[in-house]
Amino acid sequence: MSKKISAPLIRTARLLDLVPYLNTHQGIALKELASHFDVTPAQMSADLTTLWMCGLPGYTPLELMDLEFESGFVSIRNAPTLSKPRSITFQEGVALLLGLDLIASSLPEGRKDLLTAVVSLRQRLITILGVPIRLSVIPASSHAISAIIAQSIASQTALVIDYHSMYKDQNSKRTVMPVELYENNNNQYLRAYCFTALDYREFRVDRITTAEPTAETALIGISKPNSEKIELTITMTEPSRDVAERFALTQVAIGVPHTLASYSRQWIARSVMASGGAVRLDAPLDIRAEVAKKAQLMLDRYKAE
Amino acid sequence: MSRKIERLINLTIALLATKRYLTKSEIFRTVEGYEGSPETKERMFERDKDDLRSLGIEINVGSFDPLFSDEAGYRIKSENYQLDLGEITPTEISLLSLAADAWQGAALADAAQSALLKLSAIGVPADPIDIPGISPKLSNSSKDLDIVTDAIANSDFLTFEYLSSDLSIEDRNIVPIALSNRSGFWYVSGVDQEVQEVRTFRLDRINGDIQSRKNTEGFEFPVDFEFDEIRTATKAFAVIDVRKGKGNALRTLATATKDLGEWDQIRVPIFALESLAVQILWHGDDAFVHEPAELRQIIIEQLTALKSNHE
Repeated sequence: MSKKISAPLIRTARLLDLVPYLNTHQGIALKELASHFDVTPAQMSADLTTLWMCGLPGYTPLELMDLEFESGFVSIRNAPTLSKPRSITFQEGVALLLGLDLIASSLPEGRKDLLTAVVSLRQRLITILGVPIRLSVIPASSHAISAIIAQSIASQTALVIDYHSMYKDQNSKRTVMPVELYENNNNQYLRAYCFTALDYREFRVDRITTAEPTAETALIGISKPNSEKIELTITMTEPSRDVAERFALTQVAIGVPHTLASYSRQWIARSVMASGGAVRLDAPLDIRAEVAKKAQLMLDRYKAE
Repeated sequence: MSRKIERLINLTIALLATKRYLTKSEIFRTVEGYEGSPETKERMFERDKDDLRSLGIEINVGSFDPLFSDEAGYRIKSENYQLDLGEITPTEISLLSLAADAWQGAALADAAQSALLKLSAIGVPADPIDIPGISPKLSNSSKDLDIVTDAIANSDFLTFEYLSSDLSIEDRNIVPIALSNRSGFWYVSGVDQEVQEVRTFRLDRINGDIQSRKNTEGFEFPVDFEFDEIRTATKAFAVIDVRKGKGNALRTLATATKDLGEWDQIRVPIFALESLAVQILWHGDDAFVHEPAELRQIIIEQLTALKSNHE
């Protein structure tokens, strides 16, 4: 809907929204008003001049809106018809509802008051939209953890984190000095100096199970590359969306070898195992042999039990 | 151009102020800006109505006199035009701002900001919420959200090509009813017209553009649909041995754990057999399936294929 709206219509909408805003912000500075509506002061003056000509049929001074803005401060009288804010559109409502759902999942425990307010707002918005619709957001990582990290970056305090390494399938406790939070491929990452590894490390935020500020501080060393890239070649043997997404293949033809790179041997071996019969690892040969051996070992156990 | 804008504002005011339906001739006579031949006025009015509707303003068409329904009349009902959120508190305003800001730079950012602009006219100042670092974002954005939300609003059909799990491309035709975001991925759920059941699709698996088509057949919203219905409704469980200290991702799914010494035995609810099999295979020889037989069968088949592929 919104994308097809032309410039004159955008201006019409702005004028309709200006009237109720002025009603509750009498005497606002023209400059401030312009910046609230994200237009230049000159455009705002032009808008007000247009609005000044509008009113109820009859269009005598009695029916026209009474705007005063020459002093640089804007006030409005005689505009009862448009005095209430316009209702929200379906898309605006959807945007707010999804946003509220995300907020609800990020509220810390113990703020039941805010959760109650979110639930009540959601119900009122759904009533306004008047269409049955289900909307929901479940974020990947706990925003409570993200919030602790964001705070520790701001205050430059170290954190003790419990981290689960997916590739190694190991839990570890580490002391880190957070540097930045960033997003990549739908995942949020923390870049931090790790006092355990004595080097910079990247951590996926959804795999940090706890984070607590600690008083420990130490000088931060100089970054050095921590591991080497491993080149691998895989061939898809059966069409599989899972495989295409797991290995981020852009070209999905069967029987065509793909050469990729990874920093983790564990990731390569596990990803091939998880793909089952849909993929063949052509290189490196040692990981290939490891996969065959593990498959045989597991088959033996399945036969025995 | 500003004459057209003036006319649209005047028309809105006139239709809002009236307590009864105004006929076209009354509108042409009293609302400023309708000039020219009868045909010109007619065309102007038709376009103005469409323009106001595209701004989300609902114009009601009704009979001037219910006994003599000779000429249609028009009005805008104030309960449709005005925002009615009831009493609103400064804290609620802050929550709505946070909700709108979650879209920063993402698909519905414009819609979210224009909603905020309307809310600001209520004149209730925001009361900053005292939670450090709370500013969640709906980052990963999809260009299709516009078309999907519009189709949900009107119960229109959406047709698209979907990448199925075996990489074949399927044509789908749905009436969408739900929009969700899970771990950063957008999903649309809708009644699949082929099977007349609710199906869910990940937006980034849609191939090419989504086409929207007007639904003139009417649509009944499936009342029993809930997002996570399957999650709570499942009665099937898998029994899996997991090596001590390993299989953390599988352990988070478990509803029960039994200590077997070197191993733990866990009970995991089954939602989709294939995806559970993938998770088990990821853990290699740290996980071993006892039940059900179907799951064992899938694992054994995959292992056999893995072995022959890598010998």
